[in-house]
Amino acid sequence: MNTRVRMLKDVLWALALAGFVAGVFRLWFGLGATTNLSDAVPWGLWKILNMVAGVAISTSGFSMGFLVYVLGLERYRPLMKPAILVAFLGYGCSCLALLFDIGLPWRFWHPFLMWNEHSFLFEVFWCVTLYFTVTAIELAPTVFEKLKAEKATRLLHRITFWVVIVGISLSSLHHSSLGSLFLVTPQRLHPLWYSALLPLLFILSAMGGGLMFLVLVRILHAHWYDRKAVFGPTQLERELILVRSRSLADSVNAREVGRDMPMLTGVARVATGILSLYLALEIYHLGHAEAWSALLAGTWESWLFGTELLITAVIPILLVWLPAFRSSPTALTVAALSASAGLLLNRVDVGIFGYFRSAGEVYFPSLAEWALSLGVVAAAALVFLAFVEHAAVFSPPPGTNAVRRGVDVSFDSLSRVWHTALSSGPERTTLIAVLVVPLAWACMYPPYSSTHPAEVREASRMDVTGERLRLDGDRGGVLTEFPHAACQKRLGSDSSCVSCHHMSLPGDTTTPCARCHRHMTEETLIFDHAYHIQAVADSLGLEGARGSNQTCVSCHAAESARTTATAKACVECHGEWTKVYAEGSKDLARATSYLEAMHGTCLACHEDEAEKRNRPELRECSTCHTSLTPLGAPGPVLARRQ
Amino acid sequence: MRAILVDVTRCTGCERCVDACVEKNGTDPVKAQIDRLVSADGLSENRLLSVPQVAAGRFSRLSCMHCLEPSCVSACLVGGITKTPEGPVVYDPEKCIGCRYCMLACPFHVPRYEWGETTPFMRKCDMCADRQAEGREPACVEACPNEALRFGERDDLLREAHELIDRHRGAYLPRVWGEHELGGTSVLYISDVDLGAMGWPGPRTAPIPSLTEPLIAKTPFVGLSVAAGLLGINWVIRRRMRLAMESAAGTGFGESMGTDDDGRSSTEGNS
Repeated sequence: MNTRVRMLKDVLWALALAGFVAGVFRLWFGLGATTNLSDAVPWGLWKILNMVAGVAISTSGFSMGFLVYVLGLERYRPLMKPAILVAFLGYGCSCLALLFDIGLPWRFWHPFLMWNEHSFLFEVFWCVTLYFTVTAIELAPTVFEKLKAEKATRLLHRITFWVVIVGISLSSLHHSSLGSLFLVTPQRLHPLWYSALLPLLFILSAMGGGLMFLVLVRILHAHWYDRKAVFGPTQLERELILVRSRSLADSVNAREVGRDMPMLTGVARVATGILSLYLALEIYHLGHAEAWSALLAGTWESWLFGTELLITAVIPILLVWLPAFRSSPTALTVAALSASAGLLLNRVDVGIFGYFRSAGEVYFPSLAEWALSLGVVAAAALVFLAFVEHAAVFSPPPGTNAVRRGVDVSFDSLSRVWHTALSSGPERTTLIAVLVVPLAWACMYPPYSSTHPAEVREASRMDVTGERLRLDGDRGGVLTEFPHAACQKRLGSDSSCVSCHHMSLPGDTTTPCARCHRHMTEETLIFDHAYHIQAVADSLGLEGARGSNQTCVSCHAAESARTTATAKACVECHGEWTKVYAEGSKDLARATSYLEAMHGTCLACHEDEAEKRNRPELRECSTCHTSLTPLGAPGPVLARRQ
Repeated sequence: MRAILVDVTRCTGCERCVDACVEKNGTDPVKAQIDRLVSADGLSENRLLSVPQVAAGRFSRLSCMHCLEPSCVSACLVGGITKTPEGPVVYDPEKCIGCRYCMLACPFHVPRYEWGETTPFMRKCDMCADRQAEGREPACVEACPNEALRFGERDDLLREAHELIDRHRGAYLPRVWGEHELGGTSVLYISDVDLGAMGWPGPRTAPIPSLTEPLIAKTPFVGLSVAAGLLGINWVIRRRMRLAMESAAGTGFGESMGTDDDGRSSTEGNS
């Protein structure tokens, strides 16, 4: 096995193992702890990149089925097996990622029994699972051939045509339905991507982009295993052939590209044909006033949309059809890469980026999300490579599938040194696991603390002018203008203070209410134990740590548990000033909520007066809450949602 | 069909309704208080109801609108959300698989998810369907000290709303939010300021399921016609190939181009 394939496999194994760790964390700690999803952006990387985009890019299974089985274009048959394999693995890893994405994975079977036939997601679920089964049946002959189970192979070959027909019908349904999923969000999805044509746009781009991805897979396979098949002989080989050539035919051969190029160019032409339909439809969509003005708005969305259209359709179409680039393997590679990337970008745009504006929030996937997402794909790629090496997927099978075990001494072209390494196999994978798993574990371990800051804001100090007080206990914007001077005068001027105010802290005359009633709706613990220890120690003339230890018995009964129940009542030391509101109760440690304190102070009198003077409006909330609130105060202020 | 009428001009933003909601639904009051500050619109899995400012000095009850033709009901793939004939849109946690499509589908961003849980569920207001069954009004309506919330038959409330608008000319904008928007809702609003901030669309917008349900009804038809079309195309192509082979047979070409009965080409064995 060559060094390049081995390095590719190393990377894939590392990604897959990191993904495995992410999957374990997701199941153990839950969605919220491992992902950056939120109520504003409920669908993230796993659903959009793995499911919506992953399924879209694996369409080659059904489009190749259409070309080969329905249209009978036999020249494309060599791509049939890889197409089915891509479809099977693409759908497989979509389903696997989705299992981690749904909140209650063990209920994945619910849609089989609980039906809502009005839901496009329901249709997608059924079609995707059924089509996954179809690809498994289509793939089975490849496995059976390897196992030399000829009877089963023959049986499967007999039903292949019908299976392909069912597969194409299912695909045409769910690829459009994946677009229809987003039809329910006319107010939320950005107008550049929201369109009544979404189902049509989705199926066209999936078919075109999927075929281009198949071309890319073939080229990548050639790159790693069988270079000549696509790229033709290397420069060195060409020169050798030319030197040794005895006939004109040989020297012509030396200039040729690989034998698979005509086939791949053919597929790319079909794909770009579909993509040009897609491009035309997108341009038609831009004709709608909303989309057109959104494109001209020059926001980041317009640039993203332009880029997406450029790499999905424009660049591939030009590269495949312009005479200058025809039959150039490099141009074809770039075209296939561009179209595949564009297809993925389009799905991520529709499913994630298009929602940022209405959500008012930007979502970036967490490390665990990236790891699981890429890990699942890497695992699928490893299965793909295993198939390629051990079954006849690309025909003829590459001759390099003799796997050596044990220590491998080789020259590494990357580091330019001779080195000794474990050749592929369980030993090498174990080594990668030992390196990757702890690292992934350490990087992705979810923090225990909640993402919410657990601090409670203190109530504000009031604007004490004496004339009008602005009461706003939690600065939440629910502000009341309280005519302090007027109320004071009505209740009997200077002597009236105590009719509303209880006595404040010792020595204080103007303690703001919010100093103790700190929370808008919760009680506040105001007894300062540490302060009391120090104060008692000071008053007894005790010093140091030992001193403060002797103060316990000053308040708590000796020989008993030190609790509130065994403590002296505050009034025993503090005397008169606490009597006003203590009323014999020992527990002065808690202050009522600000809301309760304020309402308790005013309401009783207001209700009495409403009765006495027959002025019922005095009892109404709006008498005091005149809502003279400035916008922008903390607390929920609805910004415009569209 | 019952409904709640919200009079935005009477709401002082005291949030007694939120406290009542937190108590009734048994969510964590401390977390609810924190979410008031953390969540952009004040809604969270601990706070199924919020009273955000919609304009200077104007507050509005924000929670599930209990649409007459709800997008979430149409979207839920297991049929876990239903619109009851009495009015409330209720959620069945026993069916939920956690796909969160309802959260994406809701035009008002109302459904919230228990992100902190390892067995998370969706949470949203159910208009106190259980209290309604006992003949009581929803907890928030009962808690409102200023009669900003009224509960009753939807038709009665609509009449009442229009009467209020007519009687106090100038005190309200001449529109009842929820009467026609998205096919109508079971939470109605009258206000003296525009409520576009809450996510209300234009006055006579079509219900969201009307965008998808006619399409999905065609699904079986589309699937079958695609299959029929494929078979038709294949039949034509096979026939042409057979004819080409027969005419070529005389000249000695094309012997390997035949197809057998199940449509596979006989060249398959070579590939």
